[in-house]
Amino acid sequence: MTIQMVNGEDFSVQHDPGTKTVTFAGSIRLQTMEAYAPLRKLLDTAIAEAGSGATVFLDFRELRFLNSSGINTISRFVIDVRKQNDVMLKALGNQEIYWQQKSLTNLQKLWPKVLIEIQ
Amino acid sequence: MAEAAQILGDWNDMVESAPNNRMVLDASQLAKHWRRVSLTSDFWAYYLALHVPGNLSRERLNREALQSVLSYVLNELIENCAKFSTGVVKTVYFESWNLDDFMVFQITNHIRPEAQVPFTEFLHGLLNGDPTELYFQRIEESAETGRGGSGLGYLTLMMDYGIRFGFRFRPVNEQSVAIDVQAHVSMIRKDS
Repeated sequence: MTIQMVNGEDFSVQHDPGTKTVTFAGSIRLQTMEAYAPLRKLLDTAIAEAGSGATVFLDFRELRFLNSSGINTISRFVIDVRKQNDVMLKALGNQEIYWQQKSLTNLQKLWPKVLIEIQ
Repeated sequence: MAEAAQILGDWNDMVESAPNNRMVLDASQLAKHWRRVSLTSDFWAYYLALHVPGNLSRERLNREALQSVLSYVLNELIENCAKFSTGVVKTVYFESWNLDDFMVFQITNHIRPEAQVPFTEFLHGLLNGDPTELYFQRIEESAETGRGGSGLGYLTLMMDYGIRFGFRFRPVNEQSVAIDVQAHVSMIRKDS
């Protein structure tokens, strides 16, 4: 299990299997849902490698922007993890980043077991 | 004879006297060089947020919060122009007005005339329901079907930021209908 990354010109997404953390940084505003497929694949790998009963961390603290296609991608991922009901999710947010204050708790409305910590 | 314009949602005929900015873009260039959408949105968000003084009462959005809201709303609207300018006319118009408690944006793109009826039906659904209920319903549908979740950008903006939208359809020639989308952004803080 190695660290995997998806990079764009304005962003990076990294999965560290050691800490079971997916870290998002920059501004992610891709053109289509299809363009989000590599990012979704990275998230699915994080779940597959975490093991039953584990918690996977989604670290958004350095993510300045995410467009609605990106929010949809993350939301669909949360719904799929909810359906499997085998791995827990914890989202880390940043109080200084306005969209996170406003929208991050929507993930918890999709699945009440998602933990949200806004720092 | 020109057909009458069709209006849906919260529409205001804007007065010339309020401080006003304009820009003209090409939708095909935005689609081709996608990062220009983000760049344009961030530029106008930063430019317009400078209108807000540094020291404010608690009831009003501070400069950083307003910049963030504007960047989100403008990015979603300009993305739509880049994606859905199906009319022969590819021109995109951006216009903004600063009022005391509101900023109003009007973004115009052009669609094929036959796209007007399906789009107005889509908008009726969007404008006449509860945004929160619709948002979660459409996300679940999108997860179920694997399809793109249309309207989620508008619904997020309505639900999380209290933004009100208006839409005006104006036939410009036999092959293009202009859609003017108005977004009304309150500068009064709504504490979550």
